[in-house]
Order: sequence, then structure tokens, then C-alpha cells
Amino acid sequence: MSKLSITIDGRTFVVETPPLRRITSEITVQVDGQPVNVLALETGSPELLDWLIVDGRPYELFVDPNLRWMRSRFGLHQVEVRDLEATVARPASGDGRIKAPIPGLITRVLVSPGETVELGQPLLVLEAMKMENEIRAPRSGRVAQVHVAPGQSVALGVVVAEVE
Amino acid sequence: MFRTILVANRGEIAVRIIRTCRDMGIQTVALYDDSDLSSLHVRLADECVRLSSGTLYHDAAALVQIARDCGADAIHPGYGFLAEHDEFARACEEAGIVFIGPSSVALGKVRDKIATLEAVRAAGIAVPRHSPRAYHASEWEALQDAAERLGYPLVLKSYSGGRGHGTRLVREPAQLEDMAPHAHSAAQTAFGDDRLYLEEAFLPARYLEVQLVGDRHGNLVHLGERDGTIQHNHRKVVEESPAPYLTDAQRGDLWRQALTIGRLLGCTGVCTIEFVLDAQGRFSFTEIKARIQVEHPVTEMRTGIDLVRTQIQVAAGEPLGFSQNDVTLRGCAMQVRINAEDPWNHYLPSPGCLRRFRFPGGPGLRVDTYAYSGCDVPVHYDPLLAKVVAWDDTRAGALGRLRRAVADFAISGVQTNLTLIQRIINAPDFVSGTYDSDFGRRPLPGAEVPAEQIRDLAIAAALAYIRRGIDSSGVLPDRAGSGWHRDSRKLPQ
Repeated sequence: MSKLSITIDGRTFVVETPPLRRITSEITVQVDGQPVNVLALETGSPELLDWLIVDGRPYELFVDPNLRWMRSRFGLHQVEVRDLEATVARPASGDGRIKAPIPGLITRVLVSPGETVELGQPLLVLEAMKMENEIRAPRSGRVAQVHVAPGQSVALGVVVAEVE
Repeated sequence: MFRTILVANRGEIAVRIIRTCRDMGIQTVALYDDSDLSSLHVRLADECVRLSSGTLYHDAAALVQIARDCGADAIHPGYGFLAEHDEFARACEEAGIVFIGPSSVALGKVRDKIATLEAVRAAGIAVPRHSPRAYHASEWEALQDAAERLGYPLVLKSYSGGRGHGTRLVREPAQLEDMAPHAHSAAQTAFGDDRLYLEEAFLPARYLEVQLVGDRHGNLVHLGERDGTIQHNHRKVVEESPAPYLTDAQRGDLWRQALTIGRLLGCTGVCTIEFVLDAQGRFSFTEIKARIQVEHPVTEMRTGIDLVRTQIQVAAGEPLGFSQNDVTLRGCAMQVRINAEDPWNHYLPSPGCLRRFRFPGGPGLRVDTYAYSGCDVPVHYDPLLAKVVAWDDTRAGALGRLRRAVADFAISGVQTNLTLIQRIINAPDFVSGTYDSDFGRRPLPGAEVPAEQIRDLAIAAALAYIRRGIDSSGVLPDRAGSGWHRDSRKLPQ
């Protein structure tokens, strides 16, 4: 079970969900203690329009890769998610996880896990729109993980590396 | 009639022209460069020619040579690029290829915007007070003198071309020195001519235009007016016909004035006469657009007339085939422009590959676009992705269909102005039809979502979080969160 606090357009809900399977499945989530049936549809990519059916109501959504907003047929919604289970909470955004700022091709990886890096040090090179973009360390620390290899295409918002 | 037409344009207007050519049994030749190879216009044409560089869309000599090589007997310029260049029209004429538009002489005349204003005023029609001539960037003192004589607020306008490039609203003398250099350089970049002229500004105002069609046998007919008051980053985003705030008397007057100007300037083919309506309800003529316009479908929806077909027939020397009495203006039509622009990045163009592109349908609806799922949105061109046009018997009906259509539009892969458009068409003064140029200075309302649906969306956000494994803190673009007014005047400060 995950327990989340979701604030959407200024209204906050506590949502508890069972673990999700990667296939289309019917689940029951608790919203402020009330059970709600949800048909969660697998779309394969976090960047695609997601859709789901809640209590028989279908929603087609375009979700920001960083989950700061989403678009429904009503318009744009501001989203804030907080994990209420501190022990399982993931690090907050603005941490050492580095996401692809634009979709593109990884041309070079300049560091390996375990290496110590300084703030601003180039970590990898992402080619997009015929330009090479150096992706730099957002802080000084140790490279915890590198998730990509040269020649790999990455989508917008994919975590490419982590600095502790 | 023509056998082969070279479509000297790209994107949605090239698609639009090719479709009519097919209806008429005319072969088409499309152009592309490497960045817009995937655009629909390339797939729909009978032949296509690769340009070694996108700059060739602006190159009159290169285009005439391509037309010769592929045996085209006419060139349709679309809008933008070379649509209103008298030199291009002349090069076509000299090569024995029909330029689908006015003659080079007529284009040369209306290209001189000050002479056009003078000619229209001499015919007894109100025009804005304006500077006696245009000024190069090197003539700062003369420009400043002209501004002092004209008074403030005033508008700086580019002498060549339009489409908002170089246009600046100057409210007070102190602003002129800052704005003039920017306007000069914007005009130079867009049109290769840095000259600016000055016009008195009307604040607030409404921007109206009348569609005319004329042939070379003396027939000239109006097809009603369109409003284009609502603009974002100096460009129209919403257009509608009829203009909802006009009285019948004003409307009749506007049409009559447009026809007078059209006759005076010898309009043939399709032509748009632009007016500004001041707060006291007085019209002034501002400019003439001697080409097909982006918003032409609004008029097509109301009249049932294919304006591109009319344009081609007239260029081939045929008579219009209908008179003013045959034209019926039915119901109401509205168009919105969906642009690939990033609301989180000052509405700058947002190029990329369209992962999903599903456009709306249903009764009374038309979508003009070059795009489809998998198509690239190129970096170097206009960000216009699609035009959505809704029609119904009443304005409320048309607005309802437009709202549904915009809500149903599913686009991913690039950022768009869809949510901005939704907010504009839900704004109270748009709904009431009472808007003016101050519309863009007021904040827009947010989305109204029923309580149960908000809860459902919270569930969606929870599932999205779990799937992605990221935290978030909410952020909306300034303009979507607290109004979009800072950057959205007709005439930028």
C-alpha cells in the first residue's frame, strides 16, 4: 500500500493505493477513507496520454513528466504529491536525480558510479536538435547511479543519473 | 483552367490549397525542406520538390525556376513568405506563370502603406492619423519629430509586411527611444526593410476585417466581416464571424466602406480590408491584405464558398459566378489557432515529434492541420499546428461546439496553447461577445471542475506518481495561473 497526500487545484485528498501491476487491472483505492473502484490502464510510457476509469467515469489525461500539472478535458490542473509514509518516501524533487531536460540521444557518459563530482561538473552529453548539451552535476557529491549508456535515446524527464 | 499548380508554401495552408486543387482536378507540386518532410502537405501532393534550405521558401527566383522545371502553369503563394511581394508576382508574370493573387502592379500599390492610407482617405473614408512617411533606423530624429507632431499613444508599424512584426504600442514619449530600435530590427529581420511609420493608437479598440472576393470582370462581393480582436503575443488566436458586438447599422456601414476601398484599390481574387473600431464606435481603415488569410475558414463556414477555389478561378480569368445577392451569411463561426508553444517557457515554439495527435470531429466542425501522430513539428517555422473552426446557427451553439472540440483535442509530444485557448473561450466577456483589446490585460478564469471529478483527478495523480516514482510540487505557468496579460497585448509595450 502507498499512502499519498494529493493536492489538486487547491483541494487535498489522502489516497491509499495497492501496488500497481504493469498491466491493465481493476483496483480499489481509498480516498479519504472511502473505497473507489479504478480501472488503471497501462499505456507503456509515462509521457503518453494516460487514461483511467474511476467509478465508471473515463478520464484522458496528459501528465507533466515531473507531475507538477496535468491536463484533463476541463483544462490545466496544478498537482502536488506528498508521500505520507516517510520510511518509503522517495527523495524530493530538486535532489541529486538528474532528468533529461529535452528528449535526445546520449552521446557520451563522462563519469561512472562511485566517482566524486563537483557542482557543475559535466556528467554526460545529450544530443538534441543538432546541439550537444552537457548535463552537469546539480551539486557536489558522489555519483550514485548512471542509468544510461552512450547511444541510448532518452525521453523528456527520464532520470539519467543520480548524485548523492 | 490550370493543369499544375506549384504550392509555394508549407504546413496547414499548403494542405488546404492542395485539397482544393484535388477537388478541381489540378495537379499539385509541394515543397519541403529536411525539417518538414513529414508534414502532411508533402504526402498529399502529386509531386514534391526538396529545397536545399528552408530559406528558399523566401527565394522568388528559386521558386520560379522550380515552377518552370516541373511545368507548373501557376503558383499559389498561400500566406506569409512571398504572398504579398510584388517582385515575386512580377517574376512569375515575366516567366509566363500565373501568380494566384493580385497583379504585381496592384501589389506594389498596396505595399506602400502610407500611400494606401492617403488614397483611402481621399475617397472619404476615415483612416488613423499617421506620419507622412516611413523612417529608417538611421532617421531617429525625424521619427521623434513625427511622433511629437502625431501625439501619444501611437503605434509603430513596419512599412513592409504585417503580421505583428515590428508593431509596438507606445503610450508615452519616454518609451519611444527604447522601443524604436527593437521595432526597426524586428522589421528588418522579418521583411528585410527596417522602415517604420507611425499611426495614432485607439485604446481600447476592436480589430475587424471584411472579406472581399473580386474577379477581373468588374465583380466585387463582400463575404461578411470577421473579428480578430483577441490576440496573444501580437498574433490573433481567436477569430469569429459575425463580430458579436456590432449593430446592424454599423455592420452595413462597414461592408459598404470595405467595398468602396476594394473598388478603389482594384481588389481581385481574395482580399481583406482591415479596420479598427474605437470606443466611440467609429471605424478607421488600417490595412489591406491581398492574400488568403489564416482565418479564411471562418468565412467559408458561413458562406459555403471555397475561397481557395474562388482565388484559383479568378486567377484563371473566370468570372466569380455569383453576385452579392447570391451570398448568404449563415449562422456563426469561430476559429481558434492551436500553436505548438510552451506555456512554461514564455509561449516560445515547442518543436518535437507528435506522439499523439487526435483531433476532434462531429457536426459543425472543421480542423485544418498538417499534423498527425508521428509527424514532426519543425523548429524554424511558424508554430501554428492546427485551426479548429466551429459553426452553428447561433453564437452560443458555435461556442459550445468549439469548447467541446478544444477539450477533445489530444496532443502529446509537444507543448501547446490548448489550455490557454480553453481559458480564453470560457472567459465571461468572450462568452458575452463584449470583449475589446483590453481583454488580454485581464486575468482569465481557471478550470471549473465538479467536486467528484476533482477527486477522480486526484486518484489519477496518485497513480501517475506511483508509476513514475517521483515527487512533485505544483507549478503552473505564470500566465495560466494568474492571467496571461503581460505578454498578450495586440500592441506590445
